[in-house]
Order: sequence, then structure tokens, then C-alpha cells
Amino acid sequence: MKKIIAIYGKGGIGKSSTASNIAAACAMNGKKVMLIGCDPKSDSSITLLGGKRIPTVLDVLRDKKNVEKEDVIFEGFGGVQCMEVGGPEPGVGCAGRGIIVAIETLKKIYPEYLDNDLIIYDVPGDVVCGGFVAPIKKGFVNEVYVLTSGEYMPLYAANNICRGFDKIGMELGGIICNSRNADRERELAEEFSKEIGSKLIGYIPKDPLVQSCERDGFSVLEKAPDSEIAGVYKKLAEDLLANNERVKATPLDDDELRKLSKKYSA
Amino acid sequence: MIEEKLIIHPRPSTIVAALYTLRDLNVDVAILHGPPGCSFKHARLLEEDRLRVLTSAMDENDFVFGGREKLERTIEKAIELFNPKTIALVGTCTSMIIGEELSDSAMFAPDGIEFICIETHAGYANNTDGVISVLEPAMECGMLTDKELERQRHLLAEATNVEIRHGAASKGYLEPSRGDIKYKAAEHLIERIRSGKKIVGILNAKKETAYMFADELIALYETAKMFGMEENITIFANTDINLGLPRVKEHAKNVTKAFDERNIPIHEIIGGLDEYAITGDIIKDLILNKYGGFDAAVIAGVPHALPMDAFNGMELFSITNGPRQVAPLKDMGHHHVLVEIDLHPQTLGVSDIVPAEFGDTLRAVAMDILNDV
Repeated sequence: MKKIIAIYGKGGIGKSSTASNIAAACAMNGKKVMLIGCDPKSDSSITLLGGKRIPTVLDVLRDKKNVEKEDVIFEGFGGVQCMEVGGPEPGVGCAGRGIIVAIETLKKIYPEYLDNDLIIYDVPGDVVCGGFVAPIKKGFVNEVYVLTSGEYMPLYAANNICRGFDKIGMELGGIICNSRNADRERELAEEFSKEIGSKLIGYIPKDPLVQSCERDGFSVLEKAPDSEIAGVYKKLAEDLLANNERVKATPLDDDELRKLSKKYSA
Repeated sequence: MIEEKLIIHPRPSTIVAALYTLRDLNVDVAILHGPPGCSFKHARLLEEDRLRVLTSAMDENDFVFGGREKLERTIEKAIELFNPKTIALVGTCTSMIIGEELSDSAMFAPDGIEFICIETHAGYANNTDGVISVLEPAMECGMLTDKELERQRHLLAEATNVEIRHGAASKGYLEPSRGDIKYKAAEHLIERIRSGKKIVGILNAKKETAYMFADELIALYETAKMFGMEENITIFANTDINLGLPRVKEHAKNVTKAFDERNIPIHEIIGGLDEYAITGDIIKDLILNKYGGFDAAVIAGVPHALPMDAFNGMELFSITNGPRQVAPLKDMGHHHVLVEIDLHPQTLGVSDIVPAEFGDTLRAVAMDILNDV
């Protein structure tokens, strides 16, 4: 079954690392995959492209009116199609509108992108305005995942993002925990997922190899395919592809979230 | 990088173009999802032309928190007041920038009402994009065929080219002008009529503007008739009753009927009332290969869409409704350029000929001459 997913989560939690490693794992498994980076930093696909940045849709739109597929879609590791939305300079313009425009442009210049087996939208930070849910509304996303760690602030952001999904009527595919070595992190993430009515679909242990590969401009799937952490991403990719459960999340209130977080603190 | 031409005079927006297209499709109600003043003047005019235009009246709070609730309240009110069969939800700069999803609100509407959602804003360089933004979802709703959509795409692309070549997008700034003195031009034209010159009258109008532009040619023929010279007048008109969106065909029928009722012949049909941008070659072929020998042309509507090499050696009396069209027409070599000020508002909501100022001037000057005789 074709999957179009979006990964949300607090800024800096590891969405791009996770998205690119999942994309690489699925591609290695013979799937046709596209990764669409929606962060103005435009670095979602960098580790699939040997550390090279690609021109973003908004860069090209700024310079010329007629964007062609070849201008903005590039093939990365394992044949993954990579596109970066890009954005305005910090402090000017409207990044949210930029996402809307870029997705509309993609639909126009490359309608066949929907033929991929898996399309991943890597969406920046929190759901801060209408533009940031554009992948869901305009990009035909059928599943959303939230990445968090066991630390309080990422959990707080994850809970808040689920509130946003509830508001727009989007069902949640699951929670992914990207470990920061917090106390009893896996158990906490599992209980949080359960409390909001969902499930923990994957747990990624902290591994310095991820950082090391990224520094060199690669995903772990490409640079260290036989590593333990590569195996984790492969398993996560399989589980995501096999996942058919989607739920209407029931976010916690602030007190409930604090209580839950304290329960697992040292 | 090629620097984009900066056009600093205001032009009709994409949103307004979308509204007029909804009117042409005979949609009952259009709801602008935006602040109350957006497209106010055209919205009011369109209400005279059988399209109810409402606004969700977004305010500062809605800009921040989203205006979906207001849009849905406006839809409810529209249904209560007008019992419409079709409602269009039309985006504006505000609602589109903040990512409002019009289709979400349409989903909650009761059965039996056709909704079309127009995701547009005023930031497109060519306002013809607003027309396409209506026609694409309208085709999905079955309001027009894919063949008609393709035809419209072609016409709109040509219309855009016309504006870039000689129209509102031809220069960075175009000074508005009221054109030449109508009385003087009328005297001049009558002198040509009386001296037995062969004149071609060309109606190359855009949609409902034909109700007034047609009067220029009616006046031309009537004036010639006063002097017994009507045989020297040949009339071409883009009034094909089989072409265009529903309302456009209606206009063509009404204008044709007006000519028939006055026993004024239309010698050649040169296209539909939405084909003003592509009639040039047909007109050129007719003049050069079928008729020939014209001394002058009276062109009403969109004269700047016609190629100048069709009119070699002819004196041109050209009538437009665009004050910013005078300079480009003069640059092209049109000898007399007349402007029908505020033509468009007068041609909305009508189904018969609206007297034109130049047409009436022509009749009055002719009458004075005859009375003196």
C-alpha cells in the first residue's frame, strides 16, 4: 500500500536524521521513496546526497518563475528522490506560506511523485501555523508520526503537536522515541503513547555513530549498513510500512503530562 | 538572472478575475474568505449582475487564529438568505497566506448544494490565473467540459500575451488618459462617411462590454444611413453565439438580437465574445483577402489585440474602455483613440445595448449637420 507520511516533532529532536535513515532503509528494501524536506534550513536530505545541498524549490522560484522537475528533485542514496522546500531568510517573509507554495509547485511540475511507494515529509518544529500543516492538507499525507525523546520539553511539544492534529482531524500513526538517554525513556515514551491513545512504533537508542555518519554527510544505512543502529532503522522502516493503525489522539493536559514525566524521573 | 519588469500601476486582481468567471458560469453565491474590504468595488458591481458576493469579514483575530468559523457562519447565512444551488468559496491574500483550507468548510455544508473552492489570491502576475483557478475546479464539478477548459486556457494565454505586447502589462507605468476629444473625432469620421469612404466597423469586445461597444458600430451604421452611405459600411463582430461560457453566449445572443432588431447587418462573425485575443488573424485575412479597399476602420473593444499590418493605409478610429490603453494605442499608430470612461459598470446586469458616449456624439453631430442642411 502506498504511504505518504509526515514526521513532526520538536526542533532538534532528530527528525531529519530519522527521516533520511528511514528513507534509505526503505530504498534498500526495493521501495520507491521520496523525501520532502520542509524545513527552511533545507538539510533533510543532505545525508542522502553525500553531504551536498540541493537547490530548494523556493530558491528556484525566487530566481525564475517556471520551475522544472530537474531544477529541484535530485536522486540520492538508493534512488531516493530528494526535494527541499527551503524558505526565506530568517526574520523575513513567511516560511509557512513557502511550504504551501512549494507543495503546490511539486504537484504541478511532478504529479507522478505520488507513484512512489513511500513519501516522507520532514516537517519543521512544532505545528506553528497553517502552512506547517500544508503537507497534511495539500500533500495527501495519510499518516503522521511524532518524534520525541523522554525529556520533558520534547514530550510537551509532541503532546502539543497531537493537539494540532486533533484540531485538524488528522489521525496519528504513532510515536517514535529518539533516545536522549533520559531516565527509563522507553517506558515513558510507551506510557505517553498509550495515554494519548496511540502506540510507540519505534525506539531509536542514542548512538554516536549517527552523528559521526552525519558529519561525513551520510546516513548510517549508507556508511555503516551492518551496524546495530542501522538495524534499528531498518526495523523501524519495516514497522512503519506495515503499520495500518491510525488513531485520533487525545492529548494530555499540562498537569497530566507533568505527572507522567515526574513518574519516570530519577 | 533576468530582472523582472516592475509594473507599478494597479491592475485588476486575480481574485476579481475569479469572481467574474464565477459570474460567467452562472454560480449563485461567491463568498470571499478574507477581510471585508477585499475586492469591494467589483463585488458590488457583480451583485448587479446576478452574482451574490459575500465576505467572511476576517478581522485581526482571524488573521492570527484562523477564520474557519466565520466562513462557515457566512455559508449558513448565504444558504438561509439566498437558497443557492451553487456556492463558490473564494480565497484571498489573507486566507491563503495563513493556510486556510476552504474545502474543509465546504465539507460541512448540506447536501444538494454544489460547492467549488477557489484557492487564489491577488499575488499572481497575470490575472488570467484567477480565471483558471475557477475553471479547473468547475470542470471537476461538471460545470464545463475538459474541451472547453482547454479552449479557455488557450484564450487566456493569448489574452495575457496581448496585455504584455500592447496592454496594461506592456510598460512599467502607463499614464491614464481620457483619449482624444470625441466631438472632434466624430466630425472627422462623419466627414469620411460623407465623402464616400469605405469603412469597416469591428466589434472586438470582451464579454459584457459588447453591450456598449456594439453601440459604436450601431451609431456608425445609423450615421452612414443618415447620409445614404450605409452600403460603404461593413461590420465584423465577435458575436458567435455558440462559443464561450454560459453567460458569454447569452451576451452574444443579446447583442446579435440588437443588431437584427435595428436591421443592421453583421457581415462577418469573427469569433466568440471571449475570443478578442485571437481574432487578429481572421480580421487580417478578411481585410486583405476577402474585402480589401477599406479607407478607415472603427474598432471597438480591444483594438490593441489586432495586428497593425491588417490596417495598412487605413485611418483608425479606436475605442477602448481603458484610460491606460490610450498611450499604447497611440504608440501602435492608431490615429484617433477614444475612451468610454466607466464603460464596464454600465454593462453589468444588462441584456440590451447601452448607449455609448462616442456613439451618441456621432449621432448628435450627424443630426446637427443634417439640420443645418
